[in-house]
Amino acid sequence: MQNSVNTSKKVIKNLDALFSLIDIHKNKNISFHHHFRNGDYVINYVLEKYIQEKVQDIHLYPSAIFPSYTSILTMLKNNQITNITTNYLNGPVADFISNNGLPGTLKMQTHGGRARAILEGHSQIDIAFIGVPYASVNGDAIGYKGNNACGSLGYIIPDSKMTKVKVLITDTLIDEKISDPEIDGSDIDYILVIDSVGNKKGIVSGTTEITSNPIGVKIASNTSKLLNELGLIKEGFSFQSGAGGVSLRVTKDIKEIMIKNNIKASFFSGGITKYHVDMLEEGLVQKLYDVQCFDLDAVHSLDRNEGHVPISASRYANPSDPSMVIKYLDIVILGATEIDKNFNVNVTTDSHGNLIGGSGGHSDTATESFVTVIVSPLVKGRIPIIKDKVTTITTLGKNIDVFVTERGIAINPIRKDLISKLSESKLTILPIEKLQEIAYNLTGIPQKTLKRDTIIGVVEDRSLEVIDYIYQK
Amino acid sequence: MSRSYLFVPGNTPSMIQNLDVFDSDAIIIDLEDSVVLNDKDAARILVSNYLQKLRPDKLEIYIRINDAESRYFLEDVTLLDKTDINGYVLPKASVEAIASLQKITNKDIIPIIESPLAVLHVEAIAKMSQIKGLLLGAEDLTKELGINRTTEGKEILYTRSKIVLACAAFGVDSIDTPYTAKDDHEGLLIDVLHAKTLGFTSKSSIHPNHIELINQAFAPSASEIFEARRIIKKAESSKKGAFSLDGKMIDLPVIERAKKVLDKAKKYNLL
Repeated sequence: MQNSVNTSKKVIKNLDALFSLIDIHKNKNISFHHHFRNGDYVINYVLEKYIQEKVQDIHLYPSAIFPSYTSILTMLKNNQITNITTNYLNGPVADFISNNGLPGTLKMQTHGGRARAILEGHSQIDIAFIGVPYASVNGDAIGYKGNNACGSLGYIIPDSKMTKVKVLITDTLIDEKISDPEIDGSDIDYILVIDSVGNKKGIVSGTTEITSNPIGVKIASNTSKLLNELGLIKEGFSFQSGAGGVSLRVTKDIKEIMIKNNIKASFFSGGITKYHVDMLEEGLVQKLYDVQCFDLDAVHSLDRNEGHVPISASRYANPSDPSMVIKYLDIVILGATEIDKNFNVNVTTDSHGNLIGGSGGHSDTATESFVTVIVSPLVKGRIPIIKDKVTTITTLGKNIDVFVTERGIAINPIRKDLISKLSESKLTILPIEKLQEIAYNLTGIPQKTLKRDTIIGVVEDRSLEVIDYIYQK
Repeated sequence: MSRSYLFVPGNTPSMIQNLDVFDSDAIIIDLEDSVVLNDKDAARILVSNYLQKLRPDKLEIYIRINDAESRYFLEDVTLLDKTDINGYVLPKASVEAIASLQKITNKDIIPIIESPLAVLHVEAIAKMSQIKGLLLGAEDLTKELGINRTTEGKEILYTRSKIVLACAAFGVDSIDTPYTAKDDHEGLLIDVLHAKTLGFTSKSSIHPNHIELINQAFAPSASEIFEARRIIKKAESSKKGAFSLDGKMIDLPVIERAKKVLDKAKKYNLL
């Protein structure tokens, strides 16, 4: 197992050996994935070398940036990074960029948009550093085995196909072939074995518990009742929810409706948790199309459940991919930091202009799903969530259908079909302007304090069009 | 008549601003046990300001004030009597304590029956003026009796039955004690159905997530509504005082009960 094999021509001894073959100063467009999330050891391990070598003018292409990726902060302070293209960022790196910007540009993409940009050659990456918990000497790899299994490797698969140099980094290398690998060994140029690629405890997303907060429970209850009244919870329906507490509560409520009415779903997609796995194993859903695992139960399920299928970011959400899964989605449940009267949604910055996230699959699924539901309390931390105009557009309002709060539900006026179906509903359905008025009645109208002088980044939709700008705080 | 009475701490703005979100028929804003001594003033002022500025329409609101022996009793009533509340929930109730409260307010009163003496006096209490209903406080009662509370509730069966009878006799609400296991919804369902079977009109709760189940249990079921509609329809077309429906005799008390079922169903938006 570990370090037992080094006969493959692809296996290199260490990073020095790699950079004796590739000029580190000429290969500065580099990518990583975030499947280990806060348990990742690979990113800091590799970037330490770029710090030591004082490499300048780097363009980073991580699929996301988490608080534990401390070397990125060091490099920002050293002025080594010019541009960052990513789908999501939070923590100290996000704070630094919010306050200081970059010498170049921060480009925020979607999961599907990132895959598309790489596969269509818009993102030209020199080296992909691909941390994997389980690999064979020919370079095949999967994410759901090994001591530090992280689950699906979906986000890095486009990089493994199109990047100039592909480097697999693992702590578990085997001689035997891996059947149905996620990473195809024929795409891999080099393999580096290190002591540990990560700490599996760190992969658990911070929000994978079903909420019992009464407001969250009410929002979830409103949502499941609405979906039921719309006739969307029907035999063979498809569904995606995030790992947030309210989204998971909606999943739980929908599960109860399914059991009561003997309904089976066709597939769930996106980030997968224990609750989705339970429904697969209880026979309530046929397939889980998994682009990332949000907890260890989901990771282990990939190894034992045939119906739990890891997929690439391209198959998940790339609009140019003919096998895209989410074009068959009936329902997606998404969150929002802000929503405006045109239903534009922000999950990229907070209302003070701090970077706190990014689209991930938000815009992708909202664009493709038959019904897109935003769930959120009407007031968060004394700030009304409905704005006249969101601080940053992450997902265009034309792709948002329903906004569900604890005090009422707003339907996007462009969805006349939904409005018509709900004409007899006993649910509280109000214009979004009325919901804003209710919130203002509780909080008053917040003063506008945002500075919008210096552009530090762009929001690029999956169409590869820029839909908004990000401003320095 | 309200199905559900939800206790909400009087010192928690995030809960108070959402009183009308929880779907409880009635709210009891608590200034007693959930508010520590140092917060008594602040909570009272917060609740008073909230009620003056943001009181939701169509929601029954009661205040659990501090007991009549407490130094906060008079201050609570003096400030809150100016607001548009339905009344007061009085802890550690006795005939004398209720009389003290009656001297300083004309609003409704819901005494909490939580001492052995109060249990012995439920008839006298239920027939006092301004009484909206009696609320069983089983936790304090069993503490005073020196017995354990159980999920089955055998230890409070006599008290429950006595309260139900007294309230029914004098036409006031009988409000069951809260179920304190927050996340045990199966236990809650058993407890609620037990209370309903005994004859309680309502149940109190200390957690908003219990309200939907309580409301469902104390509202007429779909089959009860269906049956009541049939009885009323037949009664309207029949010229006799008593008649037969599906082989059962239907007379005036049954017709009156059917009317009550439909009234309740209408009130709770179930028709």
